[in-house]
Amino acid sequence: MFEILLNHYPVLLKGLTTTLVVSLSAIALGLVLGVLLAFGLTSRYHLVRWPCGLYRSFWRGTPILLQLLLVYYLLPEIGIEIAPISAAILTLTLNTTAFQAEIFRSGISHIPAGQIEAARMAGISAWQTRRRIIMPQVFRLTLPPLTNEIITILKNSSLISVIAVTELMRVSEQIASRTFQPLETYLAAAVLYLAVNLVLARISAYLERRMAGGLATE
Amino acid sequence: MPTADTLAPPAPTQQRAIVEAHGISKQFGDLEVLTNIDFSLAPSEVVCVIGPSGSGKSTLLRCLAFLEPYDHGSVYIDGQLLGYEDRSGQRVRTSEKRVDEVRAPVGMVFQHFHLWPHRTALENVTEALRLVNGLSRRQADTEGIAMLEQVGLADRAGHFPESLSGGQKQRVAIARALAMKPRVMFFDEPTSALDPELVGEVLDVMKKLAADGMTMVIVTHEMGFAAKVADRVIFMDQGRVVESGPPATLFRQPKSERLQQFLNTWRERHID
Repeated sequence: MFEILLNHYPVLLKGLTTTLVVSLSAIALGLVLGVLLAFGLTSRYHLVRWPCGLYRSFWRGTPILLQLLLVYYLLPEIGIEIAPISAAILTLTLNTTAFQAEIFRSGISHIPAGQIEAARMAGISAWQTRRRIIMPQVFRLTLPPLTNEIITILKNSSLISVIAVTELMRVSEQIASRTFQPLETYLAAAVLYLAVNLVLARISAYLERRMAGGLATE
Repeated sequence: MPTADTLAPPAPTQQRAIVEAHGISKQFGDLEVLTNIDFSLAPSEVVCVIGPSGSGKSTLLRCLAFLEPYDHGSVYIDGQLLGYEDRSGQRVRTSEKRVDEVRAPVGMVFQHFHLWPHRTALENVTEALRLVNGLSRRQADTEGIAMLEQVGLADRAGHFPESLSGGQKQRVAIARALAMKPRVMFFDEPTSALDPELVGEVLDVMKKLAADGMTMVIVTHEMGFAAKVADRVIFMDQGRVVESGPPATLFRQPKSERLQQFLNTWRERHID
Protein backbone atom coordinates (compact mmCIF):
# COMPACT_ATOMS: atom_id res chain seq x y z
CA MET A 1 0.00 0.00 0.00
CA PHE A 2 2.81 2.40 0.99
CA GLU A 3 4.60 1.53 -2.20
CA ILE A 4 1.55 2.51 -4.24
CA LEU A 5 1.23 5.75 -2.26
CA LEU A 6 4.90 6.56 -2.76
CA ASN A 7 5.14 5.61 -6.42
CA HIS A 8 1.88 7.11 -7.59
CA TYR A 9 1.35 10.03 -5.23
CA PRO A 10 1.33 12.76 -7.91
CA VAL A 11 -1.56 11.06 -9.77
CA LEU A 12 -3.33 10.12 -6.56
CA LEU A 13 -3.06 13.68 -5.26
CA LYS A 14 -4.40 15.01 -8.55
CA GLY A 15 -7.35 12.66 -8.25
CA LEU A 16 -7.84 13.67 -4.63
CA THR A 17 -7.79 17.34 -5.64
CA THR A 18 -10.53 16.72 -8.21
CA THR A 19 -12.53 14.84 -5.56
CA LEU A 20 -12.17 17.78 -3.18
CA VAL A 21 -12.99 20.42 -5.81
CA VAL A 22 -16.13 18.59 -6.95
CA SER A 23 -17.30 17.70 -3.43
CA LEU A 24 -16.59 21.03 -1.76
CA SER A 25 -18.13 23.00 -4.65
CA ALA A 26 -21.28 20.87 -4.44
CA ILE A 27 -21.39 21.22 -0.65
CA ALA A 28 -20.97 25.00 -0.76
CA LEU A 29 -23.54 25.50 -3.54
CA GLY A 30 -25.84 22.98 -1.84
CA LEU A 31 -25.59 24.94 1.40
CA VAL A 32 -26.91 28.12 -0.21
CA LEU A 33 -29.60 26.32 -2.23
CA GLY A 34 -30.41 24.05 0.73
CA VAL A 35 -31.14 27.06 2.96
CA LEU A 36 -33.42 28.54 0.28
CA LEU A 37 -35.17 25.20 -0.24
CA ALA A 38 -35.62 24.84 3.53
CA PHE A 39 -37.36 28.24 3.57
CA GLY A 40 -39.56 26.95 0.77
CA LEU A 41 -40.32 23.75 2.66
CA THR A 42 -41.31 25.75 5.76
CA SER A 43 -43.24 28.41 3.86
CA ARG A 44 -46.79 29.08 5.00
CA TYR A 45 -47.88 29.06 1.37
CA HIS A 46 -48.91 25.68 0.02
CA LEU A 47 -48.02 26.78 -3.52
CA VAL A 48 -44.41 27.28 -2.42
CA ARG A 49 -44.21 24.21 -0.14
CA TRP A 50 -45.58 21.78 -2.70
CA PRO A 51 -42.96 22.11 -5.50
CA CYS A 52 -40.19 22.29 -2.92
CA GLY A 53 -41.43 19.03 -1.39
CA LEU A 54 -41.56 17.44 -4.84
CA TYR A 55 -37.96 18.46 -5.56
CA ARG A 56 -36.81 17.08 -2.22
CA SER A 57 -38.64 13.79 -2.78
CA PHE A 58 -37.07 13.27 -6.22
CA TRP A 59 -33.48 13.97 -5.21
CA ARG A 60 -33.74 12.04 -1.95
CA GLY A 61 -35.72 9.18 -3.44
CA THR A 62 -33.59 8.18 -6.43
CA PRO A 63 -30.06 6.69 -6.45
CA ILE A 64 -27.28 9.20 -6.92
CA LEU A 65 -25.71 7.04 -9.64
CA LEU A 66 -28.94 7.29 -11.63
CA GLN A 67 -29.06 11.05 -11.05
CA LEU A 68 -25.51 11.40 -12.38
CA LEU A 69 -26.32 9.48 -15.54
CA LEU A 70 -29.59 11.36 -16.04
CA VAL A 71 -27.93 14.77 -15.79
CA TYR A 72 -24.99 13.68 -17.94
CA TYR A 73 -27.12 12.28 -20.74
CA LEU A 74 -30.17 14.53 -20.44
CA LEU A 75 -28.49 17.91 -20.75
CA PRO A 76 -26.92 17.26 -24.22
CA GLU A 77 -30.36 16.01 -25.34
CA ILE A 78 -31.80 19.45 -24.66
CA GLY A 79 -28.89 21.20 -26.31
CA ILE A 80 -26.74 21.94 -23.29
CA GLU A 81 -23.18 20.74 -23.71
CA ILE A 82 -21.58 20.24 -20.36
CA ALA A 83 -18.16 18.97 -19.32
CA PRO A 84 -18.17 15.81 -17.17
CA ILE A 85 -16.76 17.66 -14.16
CA SER A 86 -19.50 20.32 -14.42
CA ALA A 87 -22.15 17.61 -14.73
CA ALA A 88 -20.67 15.98 -11.63
CA ILE A 89 -20.72 19.21 -9.60
CA LEU A 90 -24.25 19.98 -10.81
CA THR A 91 -25.61 16.55 -9.89
CA LEU A 92 -23.97 16.43 -6.48
CA THR A 93 -25.20 19.99 -5.81
CA LEU A 94 -28.79 19.17 -6.76
CA ASN A 95 -28.60 16.02 -4.64
CA THR A 96 -27.07 17.55 -1.53
CA THR A 97 -29.42 20.55 -1.77
CA ALA A 98 -32.32 18.19 -1.03
CA PHE A 99 -30.55 16.55 1.91
CA GLN A 100 -29.22 19.79 3.36
CA ALA A 101 -32.63 21.42 3.00
CA GLU A 102 -34.17 18.61 5.01
CA ILE A 103 -31.50 19.03 7.71
CA PHE A 104 -32.16 22.79 7.86
CA ARG A 105 -35.94 22.27 7.80
CA SER A 106 -35.65 20.08 10.85
CA GLY A 107 -33.42 22.71 12.53
CA ILE A 108 -35.87 25.51 11.71
CA SER A 109 -38.72 23.51 13.25
CA HIS A 110 -36.77 23.42 16.52
CA ILE A 111 -36.66 27.21 16.87
CA PRO A 112 -39.51 28.19 19.22
CA ALA A 113 -42.18 30.17 17.36
CA GLY A 114 -42.09 32.71 20.19
CA GLN A 115 -38.56 33.79 19.24
CA ILE A 116 -39.81 34.61 15.76
CA GLU A 117 -42.84 36.44 17.17
CA ALA A 118 -40.53 38.45 19.43
CA ALA A 119 -38.48 39.46 16.40
CA ARG A 120 -41.56 40.38 14.39
CA MET A 121 -42.96 42.42 17.29
CA ALA A 122 -39.66 44.32 17.43
CA GLY A 123 -40.26 45.25 13.79
CA ILE A 124 -37.54 42.97 12.41
CA SER A 125 -38.63 41.90 8.91
CA ALA A 126 -39.37 38.28 8.07
CA TRP A 127 -36.21 38.05 5.96
CA GLN A 128 -33.99 39.64 8.61
CA THR A 129 -35.54 37.32 11.19
CA ARG A 130 -34.49 34.35 9.09
CA ARG A 131 -30.99 35.70 8.55
CA ARG A 132 -30.22 37.02 12.01
CA ILE A 133 -32.39 35.04 14.41
CA ILE A 134 -33.26 31.69 12.86
CA MET A 135 -30.33 30.59 10.68
CA PRO A 136 -27.45 31.29 13.12
CA GLN A 137 -29.17 28.97 15.58
CA VAL A 138 -30.06 26.43 12.89
CA PHE A 139 -26.41 26.18 11.75
CA ARG A 140 -25.35 25.45 15.32
CA LEU A 141 -28.14 22.94 15.90
CA THR A 142 -27.56 21.10 12.64
CA LEU A 143 -23.77 20.98 12.57
CA PRO A 144 -23.55 17.22 13.40
CA PRO A 145 -26.02 16.08 10.68
CA LEU A 146 -24.52 18.63 8.31
CA THR A 147 -21.07 17.11 8.86
CA ASN A 148 -22.56 13.70 8.09
CA GLU A 149 -23.94 15.05 4.84
CA ILE A 150 -20.59 16.61 3.89
CA ILE A 151 -18.84 13.27 4.51
CA THR A 152 -21.54 11.45 2.53
CA ILE A 153 -21.07 13.76 -0.46
CA LEU A 154 -17.33 13.30 -0.32
CA LYS A 155 -17.76 9.53 -0.37
CA ASN A 156 -20.51 9.65 -3.00
CA SER A 157 -18.20 11.68 -5.23
CA SER A 158 -16.46 8.35 -5.96
CA LEU A 159 -19.47 7.57 -8.17
CA ILE A 160 -18.70 10.37 -10.59
CA SER A 161 -16.02 8.17 -12.11
CA VAL A 162 -18.86 6.63 -14.17
CA ILE A 163 -19.14 9.83 -16.19
CA ALA A 164 -15.38 9.85 -16.82
CA VAL A 165 -14.30 12.39 -14.23
CA THR A 166 -10.76 11.53 -13.18
CA GLU A 167 -11.15 11.82 -9.46
CA LEU A 168 -9.56 9.72 -6.73
CA MET A 169 -11.62 6.58 -7.41
CA ARG A 170 -11.03 6.63 -11.15
CA VAL A 171 -7.31 7.29 -10.67
CA SER A 172 -7.18 4.31 -8.30
CA GLU A 173 -8.89 2.09 -10.86
CA GLN A 174 -6.36 3.18 -13.47
CA ILE A 175 -3.41 2.49 -11.15
CA ALA A 176 -4.87 -0.89 -10.13
CA SER A 177 -5.24 -1.99 -13.74
CA ARG A 178 -1.72 -0.84 -14.57
CA THR A 179 0.06 -2.30 -11.56
CA PHE A 180 -2.09 -5.41 -11.07
CA GLN A 181 -2.16 -4.52 -7.36
CA PRO A 182 -5.87 -3.76 -6.82
CA LEU A 183 -5.95 -4.46 -3.09
CA GLU A 184 -2.99 -2.21 -2.28
CA THR A 185 -4.26 0.54 -4.58
CA TYR A 186 -7.76 0.58 -3.16
CA LEU A 187 -6.37 0.47 0.38
CA ALA A 188 -4.28 3.53 -0.48
CA ALA A 189 -7.39 5.28 -1.83
CA ALA A 190 -9.30 4.31 1.32
CA VAL A 191 -6.57 5.86 3.47
CA LEU A 192 -6.82 9.12 1.50
CA TYR A 193 -10.66 9.25 1.74
CA LEU A 194 -10.45 8.45 5.46
CA ALA A 195 -7.80 11.11 6.08
CA VAL A 196 -9.89 13.84 4.44
CA ASN A 197 -13.04 12.79 6.27
CA LEU A 198 -11.25 12.62 9.62
CA VAL A 199 -10.00 16.16 9.10
CA LEU A 200 -13.56 17.29 8.26
CA ALA A 201 -14.94 15.55 11.36
CA ARG A 202 -12.30 17.24 13.53
CA ILE A 203 -13.11 20.66 12.10
CA SER A 204 -16.79 20.01 12.75
CA ALA A 205 -16.13 18.89 16.34
CA TYR A 206 -14.04 22.01 16.91
CA LEU A 207 -16.78 24.29 15.49
CA GLU A 208 -19.39 22.50 17.57
CA ARG A 209 -17.41 23.15 20.75
CA ARG A 210 -16.79 26.78 19.82
CA MET A 211 -20.43 27.48 19.00
CA ALA A 212 -21.87 25.68 22.02
CA GLY A 213 -22.36 28.93 23.99
CA GLY A 214 -25.79 30.48 23.97
CA LEU A 215 -27.61 27.58 22.41
CA ALA A 216 -29.92 26.59 25.24
CA THR A 217 -33.54 27.43 24.61
CA GLU A 218 -35.78 28.42 27.45
CA MET B 1 -63.59 35.51 5.61
CA PRO B 2 -64.09 38.92 7.19
CA THR B 3 -66.12 41.42 5.22
CA ALA B 4 -65.53 45.11 4.75
CA ASP B 5 -68.21 45.91 7.35
CA THR B 6 -65.91 47.48 9.89
CA LEU B 7 -63.33 49.16 7.74
CA ALA B 8 -64.22 52.71 8.62
CA PRO B 9 -61.70 54.16 11.06
CA PRO B 10 -63.00 54.88 14.55
CA ALA B 11 -64.68 58.23 15.09
CA PRO B 12 -62.33 60.71 16.67
CA THR B 13 -62.85 61.02 20.37
CA GLN B 14 -61.55 63.64 22.76
CA GLN B 15 -58.55 61.53 23.65
CA ARG B 16 -57.99 59.09 20.81
CA ALA B 17 -57.45 55.50 21.87
CA ILE B 18 -54.05 54.06 21.03
CA VAL B 19 -55.54 50.62 20.62
CA GLU B 20 -59.15 50.08 19.69
CA ALA B 21 -60.97 46.87 18.81
CA HIS B 22 -64.52 46.48 17.55
CA GLY B 23 -66.38 43.18 17.63
CA ILE B 24 -63.37 40.94 17.20
CA SER B 25 -63.90 37.20 17.04
CA LYS B 26 -61.48 34.35 16.67
CA GLN B 27 -62.00 30.67 16.04
CA PHE B 28 -59.52 27.79 16.23
CA GLY B 29 -61.20 25.14 14.08
CA ASP B 30 -64.68 24.72 15.56
CA LEU B 31 -63.75 26.31 18.85
CA GLU B 32 -64.73 29.94 19.22
CA VAL B 33 -62.07 31.45 21.50
CA LEU B 34 -63.10 35.10 21.21
CA THR B 35 -66.62 36.32 20.70
CA ASN B 36 -67.45 39.86 19.67
CA ILE B 37 -64.92 41.72 21.83
CA ASP B 38 -64.83 45.49 22.04
CA PHE B 39 -61.75 47.05 23.53
CA SER B 40 -60.28 50.48 23.89
CA LEU B 41 -57.07 51.72 25.45
CA ALA B 42 -56.44 55.39 26.18
CA PRO B 43 -52.95 56.88 26.36
CA SER B 44 -51.22 56.19 29.72
CA GLU B 45 -53.96 53.77 30.68
CA VAL B 46 -53.01 50.48 32.34
CA VAL B 47 -55.47 47.68 31.67
CA CYS B 48 -55.16 44.27 33.28
CA VAL B 49 -56.96 41.35 31.69
CA ILE B 50 -57.81 38.56 34.12
CA GLY B 51 -59.76 35.34 33.85
CA PRO B 52 -59.46 31.59 34.15
CA SER B 53 -57.13 29.58 31.89
CA GLY B 54 -58.63 29.17 28.44
CA SER B 55 -60.83 32.24 28.82
CA GLY B 56 -59.25 33.82 25.72
CA LYS B 57 -57.28 36.57 27.41
CA SER B 58 -53.94 35.69 25.80
CA THR B 59 -55.65 35.18 22.44
CA LEU B 60 -57.19 38.64 22.79
CA LEU B 61 -53.77 40.17 23.34
CA ARG B 62 -52.31 38.20 20.43
CA CYS B 63 -55.16 39.34 18.17
CA LEU B 64 -54.59 42.95 19.25
CA ALA B 65 -50.96 42.48 18.12
CA PHE B 66 -52.02 40.46 15.04
CA LEU B 67 -49.83 37.56 16.12
CA GLU B 68 -53.12 35.70 15.70
CA PRO B 69 -55.15 37.10 12.81
CA TYR B 70 -58.65 37.84 14.08
CA ASP B 71 -61.50 36.45 11.97
CA HIS B 72 -64.09 39.22 12.32
CA GLY B 73 -64.18 42.77 13.56
CA SER B 74 -61.34 45.24 13.48
CA VAL B 75 -58.35 46.35 15.46
CA TYR B 76 -56.96 49.85 15.13
CA ILE B 77 -53.55 50.91 16.35
CA ASP B 78 -53.33 54.67 16.48
CA GLY B 79 -56.33 54.91 14.15
CA GLN B 80 -54.91 52.52 11.53
CA LEU B 81 -56.55 49.20 10.75
CA LEU B 82 -54.23 46.34 11.68
CA GLY B 83 -53.77 43.29 9.46
CA TYR B 84 -56.42 43.93 6.81
CA GLU B 85 -57.14 46.41 4.07
CA ASP B 86 -59.99 47.12 1.73
CA ARG B 87 -59.37 45.99 -1.85
CA SER B 88 -62.33 46.59 -4.18
CA GLY B 89 -64.81 46.25 -1.35
CA GLN B 90 -63.24 43.00 -0.15
CA ARG B 91 -61.31 42.80 3.06
CA VAL B 92 -57.90 41.18 2.46
CA ARG B 93 -54.82 40.56 4.57
CA THR B 94 -52.18 43.26 4.30
CA SER B 95 -48.52 42.51 3.68
CA GLU B 96 -46.28 41.59 6.61
CA LYS B 97 -44.50 44.91 6.03
CA ARG B 98 -47.73 46.83 6.48
CA VAL B 99 -48.51 44.86 9.66
CA ASP B 100 -45.05 45.86 10.95
CA GLU B 101 -45.73 49.52 10.13
CA VAL B 102 -49.14 49.64 11.82
CA ARG B 103 -48.09 47.85 14.99
CA ALA B 104 -44.77 49.70 15.30
CA PRO B 105 -46.06 51.60 18.36
CA VAL B 106 -46.60 48.29 20.18
CA GLY B 107 -43.97 46.45 22.22
CA MET B 108 -44.63 42.97 23.54
CA VAL B 109 -43.39 40.83 26.40
CA PHE B 110 -44.15 37.11 26.41
CA GLN B 111 -44.77 34.57 29.13
CA HIS B 112 -41.73 32.50 28.11
CA PHE B 113 -39.48 35.53 27.46
CA HIS B 114 -38.42 34.29 24.02
CA LEU B 115 -35.00 35.86 24.21
CA TRP B 116 -32.71 34.89 21.33
CA PRO B 117 -30.34 32.42 22.95
CA HIS B 118 -27.44 33.03 20.57
CA ARG B 119 -27.35 36.71 21.43
CA THR B 120 -26.13 38.28 24.67
CA ALA B 121 -28.50 40.31 26.86
CA LEU B 122 -27.20 43.50 25.24
CA GLU B 123 -27.45 42.08 21.71
CA ASN B 124 -31.04 41.01 22.41
CA VAL B 125 -31.79 44.65 23.18
CA THR B 126 -29.78 46.17 20.34
CA GLU B 127 -30.67 43.76 17.51
CA ALA B 128 -33.78 45.64 16.38
CA LEU B 129 -32.16 49.02 17.04
CA ARG B 130 -29.53 48.11 14.45
CA LEU B 131 -31.69 46.18 11.99
CA VAL B 132 -34.85 48.29 12.10
CA ASN B 133 -33.69 51.72 13.22
CA GLY B 134 -30.36 51.48 11.39
CA LEU B 135 -28.25 52.55 14.37
CA SER B 136 -24.51 51.92 14.33
CA ARG B 137 -23.18 49.32 16.75
CA ARG B 138 -21.84 52.03 19.06
CA GLN B 139 -25.10 54.01 19.10
CA ALA B 140 -27.14 50.85 19.60
CA ASP B 141 -24.88 49.67 22.43
CA THR B 142 -25.19 53.01 24.22
CA GLU B 143 -28.99 52.86 23.98
CA GLY B 144 -29.03 49.18 24.85
CA ILE B 145 -27.01 49.71 28.03
CA ALA B 146 -29.37 52.54 29.00
CA MET B 147 -32.33 50.19 28.53
CA LEU B 148 -30.67 47.45 30.57
CA GLU B 149 -29.94 50.03 33.28
CA GLN B 150 -33.62 50.88 33.34
CA VAL B 151 -34.41 47.27 34.27
CA GLY B 152 -31.41 47.01 36.61
CA LEU B 153 -29.37 44.66 34.44
CA ALA B 154 -26.57 46.74 32.94
CA ASP B 155 -24.05 44.47 34.70
CA ARG B 156 -25.43 41.46 32.80
CA ALA B 157 -25.03 43.02 29.34
CA GLY B 158 -22.50 40.46 28.12
CA HIS B 159 -24.30 37.41 29.49
CA PHE B 160 -26.11 34.92 27.28
CA PRO B 161 -29.73 34.21 28.26
CA GLU B 162 -28.85 30.70 29.44
CA SER B 163 -26.84 32.18 32.31
CA LEU B 164 -29.63 34.49 33.48
CA SER B 165 -32.38 33.70 35.97
CA GLY B 166 -36.00 33.69 34.80
CA GLY B 167 -36.63 37.10 36.33
CA GLN B 168 -33.52 38.52 34.68
CA LYS B 169 -34.52 37.04 31.32
CA GLN B 170 -37.92 38.67 31.57
CA ARG B 171 -36.37 42.01 32.48
CA VAL B 172 -34.08 41.76 29.43
CA ALA B 173 -37.18 40.98 27.36
CA ILE B 174 -38.82 44.13 28.74
CA ALA B 175 -35.69 46.16 27.91
CA ARG B 176 -35.71 44.66 24.39
CA ALA B 177 -39.30 45.79 23.86
CA LEU B 178 -38.69 49.23 25.41
CA ALA B 179 -35.66 49.84 23.19
CA MET B 180 -37.96 50.37 20.22
CA LYS B 181 -39.65 53.23 22.11
CA PRO B 182 -43.15 51.77 22.00
CA ARG B 183 -46.13 53.91 22.90
CA VAL B 184 -47.94 50.90 24.29
CA MET B 185 -46.69 47.69 25.87
CA PHE B 186 -48.47 44.34 25.78
CA PHE B 187 -47.58 41.85 28.52
CA ASP B 188 -48.76 38.28 28.05
CA GLU B 189 -48.63 36.64 31.51
CA PRO B 190 -45.16 38.04 32.13
CA THR B 191 -44.70 36.36 35.51
CA SER B 192 -46.50 33.04 34.99
CA ALA B 193 -43.33 31.14 34.05
CA LEU B 194 -41.31 32.49 36.97
CA ASP B 195 -40.44 31.00 40.34
CA PRO B 196 -42.49 32.84 42.99
CA GLU B 197 -39.45 34.61 44.46
CA LEU B 198 -38.55 36.06 41.04
CA VAL B 199 -42.00 37.51 40.32
CA GLY B 200 -41.41 40.64 42.41
CA GLU B 201 -38.43 41.95 40.41
CA VAL B 202 -40.44 41.81 37.16
CA LEU B 203 -43.53 43.38 38.70
CA ASP B 204 -41.37 46.18 40.16
CA VAL B 205 -40.12 47.06 36.67
CA MET B 206 -43.69 47.05 35.37
CA LYS B 207 -44.91 49.23 38.25
CA LYS B 208 -42.17 51.73 37.44
CA LEU B 209 -43.23 51.76 33.80
CA ALA B 210 -46.84 52.39 34.79
CA ALA B 211 -45.76 55.17 37.12
CA ASP B 212 -43.80 56.75 34.24
CA GLY B 213 -47.00 56.87 32.20
CA MET B 214 -46.50 53.92 29.85
CA THR B 215 -49.71 52.67 28.27
CA MET B 216 -50.02 48.96 29.03
CA VAL B 217 -52.22 45.94 28.51
CA ILE B 218 -51.31 43.16 30.92
CA VAL B 219 -52.73 39.67 30.82
CA THR B 220 -52.04 38.40 34.31
CA HIS B 221 -52.91 36.11 37.19
CA GLU B 222 -51.35 38.55 39.65
CA MET B 223 -54.52 39.98 41.24
CA GLY B 224 -52.63 41.99 43.85
CA PHE B 225 -50.63 43.68 41.13
CA ALA B 226 -53.74 44.31 39.03
CA ALA B 227 -55.51 45.85 42.05
CA LYS B 228 -52.61 48.21 42.70
CA VAL B 229 -51.47 49.19 39.21
CA ALA B 230 -54.42 48.89 36.82
CA ASP B 231 -56.67 51.78 35.93
CA ARG B 232 -59.13 49.24 34.61
CA VAL B 233 -59.52 45.50 34.93
CA ILE B 234 -61.22 43.31 32.35
CA PHE B 235 -62.54 39.93 33.43
CA MET B 236 -62.90 37.40 30.63
CA ASP B 237 -64.54 34.00 30.54
CA GLN B 238 -65.22 31.67 27.61
CA GLY B 239 -64.00 34.17 25.05
CA ARG B 240 -66.18 37.04 26.24
CA VAL B 241 -65.68 40.11 28.38
CA VAL B 242 -67.86 39.41 31.41
CA GLU B 243 -67.09 42.51 33.43
CA SER B 244 -64.76 45.45 33.36
CA GLY B 245 -64.13 48.48 35.51
CA PRO B 246 -61.80 50.07 38.03
CA PRO B 247 -60.06 47.42 40.15
CA ALA B 248 -61.59 48.66 43.42
CA THR B 249 -65.11 48.14 42.06
CA LEU B 250 -64.39 44.94 40.21
CA PHE B 251 -62.60 43.19 43.04
CA ARG B 252 -64.82 44.44 45.89
CA GLN B 253 -68.22 44.47 44.24
CA PRO B 254 -68.17 41.92 41.45
CA LYS B 255 -71.50 41.95 39.66
CA SER B 256 -71.42 38.68 37.83
CA GLU B 257 -71.63 35.32 39.52
CA ARG B 258 -68.75 34.04 37.37
CA LEU B 259 -66.37 36.75 38.64
CA GLN B 260 -67.47 36.19 42.25
CA GLN B 261 -66.75 32.51 41.80
CA PHE B 262 -63.36 33.24 40.18
CA LEU B 263 -62.34 35.65 42.95
CA ASN B 264 -63.48 33.24 45.69
CA THR B 265 -61.38 30.45 44.19
CA TRP B 266 -58.41 32.80 43.98
CA ARG B 267 -58.86 33.92 47.62
CA GLU B 268 -59.14 30.34 48.86
CA ARG B 269 -55.85 29.51 47.16
CA HIS B 270 -53.93 32.60 48.16
CA ILE B 271 -55.19 33.58 51.63
CA ASP B 272 -54.20 30.48 53.57
